[in-house]
Amino acid sequence: MTARETVLTWILLLAGFFGAWSLAAATLPVPSYVLPPPSAVLSASRDLIVKGILPTYVAESVRRMVTAALVAFAIGVPVGVALGMSRRLAEFAFPILNFFQSVSGIAWLPLMLVWFGFGERTILVAVNYTVVFPVALSALLGVRSVPRIYVNGLRTLGASRWRIARDVILPGALPNIATGMRLGLAYGWRALIAAEMLVGAHGLGFMIFSAQNFHLTARIMLGMVVIGALWLVLDYFVLRPLEQATIERWGLIQR
Amino acid sequence: MRRRLGSLVRGVAPFVVLVAAWAALTRSGLVAEIFLPPPEAVARTGWEMARDGSLWTNIVASLGRVLVGLVVSVPLAIGFGVLVGLSRRLATVLEPVASFFNALSGIAWLPLAMTWFGLGWGSVTFIMLNTVFFLVFFNTLVGVRTVPRVFEHALRTLGGSRRHLIVQVLIPGAMPSIVAGIRMSIGFGWRALIAAEMIATSTGLGFLIFNAQNFHQTDTILAGIITIGVLWLATDRLLLQPLERWTVERWGLVSS
Amino acid sequence: MSALRHRTGRFLVVVALLWVAWEVYLAVSAARRLDAALAAELDRGGVVNVAVTLGFAPEDFHIRVFQTHGIVSGVRGTTVLLNRVPASDVRRIARYYWVERIQRS
Repeated sequence: MTARETVLTWILLLAGFFGAWSLAAATLPVPSYVLPPPSAVLSASRDLIVKGILPTYVAESVRRMVTAALVAFAIGVPVGVALGMSRRLAEFAFPILNFFQSVSGIAWLPLMLVWFGFGERTILVAVNYTVVFPVALSALLGVRSVPRIYVNGLRTLGASRWRIARDVILPGALPNIATGMRLGLAYGWRALIAAEMLVGAHGLGFMIFSAQNFHLTARIMLGMVVIGALWLVLDYFVLRPLEQATIERWGLIQR
Repeated sequence: MRRRLGSLVRGVAPFVVLVAAWAALTRSGLVAEIFLPPPEAVARTGWEMARDGSLWTNIVASLGRVLVGLVVSVPLAIGFGVLVGLSRRLATVLEPVASFFNALSGIAWLPLAMTWFGLGWGSVTFIMLNTVFFLVFFNTLVGVRTVPRVFEHALRTLGGSRRHLIVQVLIPGAMPSIVAGIRMSIGFGWRALIAAEMIATSTGLGFLIFNAQNFHQTDTILAGIITIGVLWLATDRLLLQPLERWTVERWGLVSS
Repeated sequence: MSALRHRTGRFLVVVALLWVAWEVYLAVSAARRLDAALAAELDRGGVVNVAVTLGFAPEDFHIRVFQTHGIVSGVRGTTVLLNRVPASDVRRIARYYWVERIQRS
């Protein structure tokens, strides 16, 4: 398919989509707040930026996500690798980690509200939890998946345990770890939005939730677009390249 | 038989240790009871809720929504995914769009859903439907597109119709991707569902634990959390993993 | 792989540069928003009562932001009256790009 065909199809699709939307907004027999036209969303975006609301909330959500993610990586990777190094420990820890991963951070939120109240800490802890378990689990699995043959090979050459961990196991586990980070962040970003809705301490989740209270539907839609776009940007520019890079470089070691 | 028993023991033993550690922690007095009730209290509360039926009503409410989401959205998503996948032009353009909606999936739709459907099961079920649809649609689309053209050509050479193409080549070929998508969508959807139930409705496990937080009933919260974890693990273990394995066994050869 | 690393690297560099540029802009434009008389008084430290003028009618969001800096005593059109604001907080308010002017009230 030529580039020209692609562009043409895009134009047609976008025109069709926005056209249908505007038409529906103008003709549907529903109150205006149910389906604001695209123009309303556009002016809402201008409005929210001029008033400083959108950038502030975006910065808050991003800051929380990055903070929670970095802490989760710092905890999850070492713990997962350490657990993975011993077959016994790995077998023991795996069901537990799996269980805690399946109980998402949001499910723990009510308990954390009792512990920490309605504040920033609750949000950070919940998101942190959500990211930590996929990362630890995948680090554990990654370490387990390194073929023994490489480990043994290095051992016969007299390498120390530390050397083995650094040169064979860690690189071998990296593809899994990268995937785990990506999954953890996917869960974590959504958990963050949910937590912001529930705890109400500002942020994008809070923005779209409180906009709903005042029937500011254009703001809701704008917020949703921003939420999706932020994830796409993170995924396209950081997470997927990282995952690809680790698979390309060290993917041979596993499978 | 013995191996089954052995693996069962190995699966359960870590939790036994975990619960023992939990009991030891609460008994040591390091943590106030209101923050971390002992296992016995949680078990007792859980038992009470099971007896008076409140546990089951909430489980049924949550699982029911998951089921509705699956039953309605999966066929729709597969149908649309195959249809769009048939047209190369449409597929190339819609793939990033589908990817965007994937990125948006879940709880972010709740305020919009609440604007349209108000509080209650409508909004919450919409979240589930939504999440499952977009994820399965995207995976179907990608799966259909990656079926090697050679199979399509082979079928055409043998005189197969479009219907044959869809049913015998595209869908089986896309199956591993579709099933992976279904599994992923339940993972994301379940999480979004719990969150939505906390915010927008008064039944379901999410509501159960959020409501309990209001009264600082930490034993109810923990009982609910354990139920959620067990339900998800059971679904994944008993339903989704075997499904995925069966699909890969049956059609794994056709893909990539 | 280096091509992909390229993408991430470039992205992070661009983000960092934009962030720095933005912070510089905020720091530079903050001076413009402070009334001259007020600026002089700030150097003495302590708390002041200010009138913050925005380019639009303040929303909940803005009131809440201001409440972290002082006591909101009233809203007149597009101006918010803020009492007992420490000098350092006044400077912080001056850095908000959506604030037009801050005066002594």
